Amino acid sequence: MRPSVNRPPTPDVQENQEKEPTLQETINIKLIESGEKERLMELLRERLVECGWKDEMKAICRAFIKKKGRNNVTVDDLVHVITPKGRASVPDSIKAELLQRIRKFLVSAAL
Amino acid sequence: MSSKINSNNNNNHRINGQISLQPCTHLADFRSRHRSNPFRALQDCLRIKPPGGRAAIRRDPSEVPLCGVCGDSGGGRTRLYACVSCAAVHCHAPPGGGPSHAAAHAESARGGHEIAVDVDRAELFCCACRDQVYDRDFDSAVVLAQTAASTLHAPPHSVTTPTTIRLPQPENLRKRRRIDYRPWTPDPRERSLMGSSSSPLNGTVSDSDSNSDSRSNDLLPWGLRGLNNLGNTCFMNSVLQALLHTPPLRNYFLSDRHNRFYCQKKSNCNGNGNGDGIVNRRNASNNERNNNSRMCLACDMDAMFSAVFSRDRKPYSPAKFLYSWWQHAANLASYEQQDAHEFFISMLDGIHEKVEKERRKPHSQGNGDCCIAHRVFSGILRSDVMCMTCGFTSTTYDPCVDISLDLEPNQGGSAKMASTKSNHASNGEVDCLNSSQNSGISTLMGCLDRFTRPERLGTDQKFFCQQCQVRQESLKQMSIRKLPLVSCFHIKRFEHSSTRKMSRKVDRYLQFPFSLDMAPYLSSSILRRRFGNRIFPFDGDEPEASNELSSEFELFAVVTHTGKLDAGHYVTYLRLSNQWYKCDDAWITQVNENIVRAAQGYMMFYVQKMLYYKASEKQVAA
Ligand SMILES: [Zn+2]
Ligand SMILES: [Zn+2]
Ligand SMILES: [Zn+2]
Ligand SMILES: [Zn+2]
Ligand SMILES: [Zn+2]
Ligand SMILES: [Zn+2]
Repeated sequence: MRPSVNRPPTPDVQENQEKEPTLQETINIKLIESGEKERLMELLRERLVECGWKDEMKAICRAFIKKKGRNNVTVDDLVHVITPKGRASVPDSIKAELLQRIRKFLVSAAL
Repeated sequence: MSSKINSNNNNNHRINGQISLQPCTHLADFRSRHRSNPFRALQDCLRIKPPGGRAAIRRDPSEVPLCGVCGDSGGGRTRLYACVSCAAVHCHAPPGGGPSHAAAHAESARGGHEIAVDVDRAELFCCACRDQVYDRDFDSAVVLAQTAASTLHAPPHSVTTPTTIRLPQPENLRKRRRIDYRPWTPDPRERSLMGSSSSPLNGTVSDSDSNSDSRSNDLLPWGLRGLNNLGNTCFMNSVLQALLHTPPLRNYFLSDRHNRFYCQKKSNCNGNGNGDGIVNRRNASNNERNNNSRMCLACDMDAMFSAVFSRDRKPYSPAKFLYSWWQHAANLASYEQQDAHEFFISMLDGIHEKVEKERRKPHSQGNGDCCIAHRVFSGILRSDVMCMTCGFTSTTYDPCVDISLDLEPNQGGSAKMASTKSNHASNGEVDCLNSSQNSGISTLMGCLDRFTRPERLGTDQKFFCQQCQVRQESLKQMSIRKLPLVSCFHIKRFEHSSTRKMSRKVDRYLQFPFSLDMAPYLSSSILRRRFGNRIFPFDGDEPEASNELSSEFELFAVVTHTGKLDAGHYVTYLRLSNQWYKCDDAWITQVNENIVRAAQGYMMFYVQKMLYYKASEKQVAA
């Protein structure tokens, strides 16, 4: 039997999360609730395009698809392939800028 | 002529230009179990989030989705998916990246819970196949929601001012611009021809001359020659200077592709009808009609190129050209003002018309060849008009020889600036761009952003929706389907009143880059950035922007206007061998690039980068 589509949000999350959330989790939720996370993501997208990171990832994906054949590649495969390279090649200046923004947010949110 | 493509009944599903795969068995199963509108519940959860207007899935706007098993909030190594069957949210990481509670959910439910939606992208995913899947109905629902949302956030002026995309033009000019012509892309052979034929253009012509006058002239690039003012003709001189140094145009004429002696001889044969090829003076001079048919602007261009690229550096008088153009323009009843931009349009028309008249056989459809004016300047604009009620979209393609841009309205609102920001990513000069945005200076990129931004058409401009079968409010979005070899941007500095008389000139400064990447304004980029990876409910078959190097352009000429409406003066700045020259009628001077940056641009000419470099490489003065 299929559960109703309009079921309210699953309550088990709150039950599972009786334990005190970590500081990182708290910050993350604050960022999401305030909409700051969305703005940070937009900024990050923009910066990654500017510095050529996106083109680089695209090229890796293209090469991988070419090697495997275009019908034998899933999104998961691509994410798996580019994740290590992608994480390693984000310029430090971009990381610093985002960190600065998050710091500023934390101060203004007075956590 | 514009071709109308209504792709509602198109069976070839295309995703950003690629034919899509069949849905996986899980998606097909899901669809067959929910015949009518399987994504109805999801539709209520679609949220369009500024900035960028991206689509996301939230049950209520303030929901913070978390994985139902581990409480992960997504974003790190994981993405969050909501099951489209039961709405449960789970995390997912690719193999090696951690556990996938979404895949576990699909397995434990024993069928029927494989399809999920990425909560931050509103894109469908099959947790069993571990791959993105596409559904036409779902994607059109998202596109419609994004469309509706983008009009809510639009600044008020775009609602009250109906389509300000193009300057309303005199009727016959507009008609002429819609003449059926095909765009032309040079094949590799022609490209290399263009490239190679531009290298001989170095300044070593007058080596043997020893007088001091010609020695100083040698420091100027070849072909740089003043044009005499023949009585308020700076509007013409300014455009001619730009055209004389338009690399592909110059290469065409200097390689003798339109030989004026041959052309005139041929015309006379046609005019006399006797076919013996001998110029008949009597006939030619007293027959006005015949005279008109012999008038050929391309021949006059040919003569001018020969003169300007000769050794002679004395200012040249383009009297013959003015006369021919005047004959051509006199036929345009509504030609009133001596406006550089209108001159540009009408002279391209003039070149086109003559060549078309000469053609005996209809030109072959496929290779898109036309007159030289259109081979160089014509691109294709794409316009999508979407019904605000049902989402039906009608797509039209129109050739254009330039892009007319509105100056941005006076800055002040910071909300607007944010909305124009995302497009700039791939353009250089980021620093100066960002600072200019802060200080509220208009930029060419800002104008292009506005030009390609979705715009709600006013209630007085309702379009007839083929699906609703009534007139409906609509949303229009322009983008560039095909870039020309040379892009001319015309800044609408002259505001015309309803009686079509110039009423006002806008003196506001506009910043323009020396290097411009047009990729953000191409149809493929515009559609993808707006809607993500989807099957579009309209024609989404666009060539991939990043595959084409041709989106990078270099500035080579700026036509500027100073002074009042009627008492103004046109001056052109030319960039040759990366050095700027000011062409003020008969006077040519070398100028610092900062003077150019500070100038009040009226028309900006950009050439595809590869042609620019080829053209300048060997011209550096000794
Ligand atoms: Zn489920
Ligand atoms: Zn999880
Ligand atoms: Zn599947
Ligand atoms: Zn001719
Ligand atoms: Zn033509
Ligand atoms: Zn409709």
